[in-house]
Amino acid sequence: MKAYNPQHVRNRLVRQQAERWQREGLLKPEQLAAVRQAYPVSFRENNVFSEIGAFIFTGIAVGGAYALMMLFLSGLVDQADAFGLFNAVVGAGVLLLARWLIGRYHFYRSGPDNALIVMGAAFLLAALNVVLPGDVPFWLRCLLAVPLLLGFVWYYGDVILLFIALLAFYGAMFAGLLEFPWGRLALPFVLMAVSGALWFVLRRLKRAIPNSDYYADAFGIADWVLLGVLAAAGNYFVVRELNGLLADPVPGVYGDTEAPPVRWGALFWGLTFFFPGLYAWLGIQQKNRLLIILSILGIAAAVSTVRYYYPVGPLSIYLTLIGLVMIAVAVWLIRYLRQPRRGFTDVPDEESPRQFFLNAETLSLISTTGATLDRQPDLRYGGGEFGGGGAGKNY
Amino acid sequence: MSPKEILDQLHERGLLPTGQHALIDRVERERPFSLHWELRSVLYVGILFMSSGLGLLIYENYDALGHVTILAGIGLLCVAAFAYAWSVRPPWTPALTQSQSPFGDYALVLGCLLFLSLEGYAQYEYNLFGDRYGLVTFLPAILFLALAYRFDHRGVLGMGLTALMAWVGVTVRPLDLYLKTNFFDERVIYSALMLSGVLIGAAMLLQRRGIKPHFTFSYLLVIGNLMLVALLAGMFNVPDLRLLFAVGLALACMLFDRYARREQSFLFGLMAAIYGYIGLSYLLFHYLRPDEYVSTFYLLLSGGVLVAYLLTYKKQKIDPDAPPTGPISR
Repeated sequence: MKAYNPQHVRNRLVRQQAERWQREGLLKPEQLAAVRQAYPVSFRENNVFSEIGAFIFTGIAVGGAYALMMLFLSGLVDQADAFGLFNAVVGAGVLLLARWLIGRYHFYRSGPDNALIVMGAAFLLAALNVVLPGDVPFWLRCLLAVPLLLGFVWYYGDVILLFIALLAFYGAMFAGLLEFPWGRLALPFVLMAVSGALWFVLRRLKRAIPNSDYYADAFGIADWVLLGVLAAAGNYFVVRELNGLLADPVPGVYGDTEAPPVRWGALFWGLTFFFPGLYAWLGIQQKNRLLIILSILGIAAAVSTVRYYYPVGPLSIYLTLIGLVMIAVAVWLIRYLRQPRRGFTDVPDEESPRQFFLNAETLSLISTTGATLDRQPDLRYGGGEFGGGGAGKNY
Repeated sequence: MSPKEILDQLHERGLLPTGQHALIDRVERERPFSLHWELRSVLYVGILFMSSGLGLLIYENYDALGHVTILAGIGLLCVAAFAYAWSVRPPWTPALTQSQSPFGDYALVLGCLLFLSLEGYAQYEYNLFGDRYGLVTFLPAILFLALAYRFDHRGVLGMGLTALMAWVGVTVRPLDLYLKTNFFDERVIYSALMLSGVLIGAAMLLQRRGIKPHFTFSYLLVIGNLMLVALLAGMFNVPDLRLLFAVGLALACMLFDRYARREQSFLFGLMAAIYGYIGLSYLLFHYLRPDEYVSTFYLLLSGGVLVAYLLTYKKQKIDPDAPPTGPISR
């Protein structure tokens, strides 16, 4: 029993793979037609932009409906039990609406259903939190939300809800540990341990459960978050600054003071480089895109961490040198992989988000151009050569 | 399901003959892992870092000799980048094409970024353009647009359009969600509208003529947003002409919607929906001043209507008879 037909989720996957083979000339068009015949998919196919828009406007509509009901039931907020019941009823109503729409319009993660599911879960969580006595600590509220959210994930396979479930789980860990005097010291180790352990559990789960295709997107986001937190929790900058932020303020010291060095600093310096290195090694061995990308980001974070605590030379030189190294490495690898080597190639494949990349490139170039052009008049006026300049920038 | 499992299942169900099953199995097993976009991202971020590092370096004061050396070095690097890009330039064609070298496009970007830094510094230090500030942005705009067409580079086209927007007084940094301008100044609104009208008209004309038709997307994305923001700004800030701007906005949204449906490019449909919705809601709240009951009911109703409207954008069916693109992994 699932919100969407799991068989059709699988069929959709088979179709997509067959379409890819057909594009590569490995399947004949009539074979693809036969595959489509044999693997029916009833889901509605939209495009991503109308889905994004439908998600936003569903949120507006539900928000408007909720506010309207609150207007009719003014004074409800003061009575915790009644307000909780109201939220629970609204949540259930929203979820029923989602169920009806999925049946009627064959939605499959088409925007409106995602929005309704997320908002329905949010209303139910709100109901739970209103009804709970006021002295229930934050960490317990987070922890209680996790099974509820996971239930939703089980039924819908929704990515956003799984993300929120992970946030709630980490929130519970974080706030719960800080209840203890030793919690601040243990925090990075606990975060690393639970992230790593959860990642292993999920890996087993992916193979063990019968409907792993239904959860493919949710598993994907979980991998990103868990491995990302694992690496971040070992990063020296994160540990030291977070530790400084959480420390009790020292009497007589005000304002931004530098975070003090942490205990076991050498260990965290080691971990700062260990995780990106491990990800790179595993990523190359297992040809895992997620691990390779995380290792690149992790190495960038490690280098920035070193620069942050041991700044040598001005920023301009540092940026130039880092840029040069990146260009050199990329150029060398692109030339090296012109022929496929060790199972890697520079030739783009079908999975690549070509359109996304081109647009990201254009957007960042626009940003850079905007910033560069924007800087010049300021510098000009800031240079003091124009008395009282800066008013009315008509250039 | 992994590709292998799908393959075996298709075979079991009699949809694939054994020979073909073995062939696809081999292709899948030997398919190399593509690092194409990861490597280009690293290369590209490296270029951004290096050019901004060098851009900062210019403004740091060293003794006179060192300073001249730095300037000369950056100038040489800029010339070298352009020269390399030119040496591997694609043949001129109005259709989509690409550089003869994987690095040509990136050298061009580096050259353009360094040119921008040097040009800004020339104005800052030597007052090259005097009081004609317009030239500081107009000159690179024209240069970048020309280079974009010659080299078929959408990123450089975006740079040129951004410089043109700066020329009429609008600074955008989309990645920082940053927009700086003075839309209370009516002149800025009118020049932004005139610029966007001219550019979108030009883009449509060029598309019809078949000259780099794939550039239209960038034009509409960058300049289309400028136009819609300027129309909204006119509606908010110019009370005398509010209804005229409202009509203009409605017209622009209708045109974007038509374009989105014709070209199956639904990003523009989403843009039309969001800007149109903001404009409509503003007019409603401004003129009718509804009470809170009507306001919340409006949110409920309008949200529902827009969802229904957006879902009328249907994904184009992939034509199963389309010619295959050929195996990629060879």
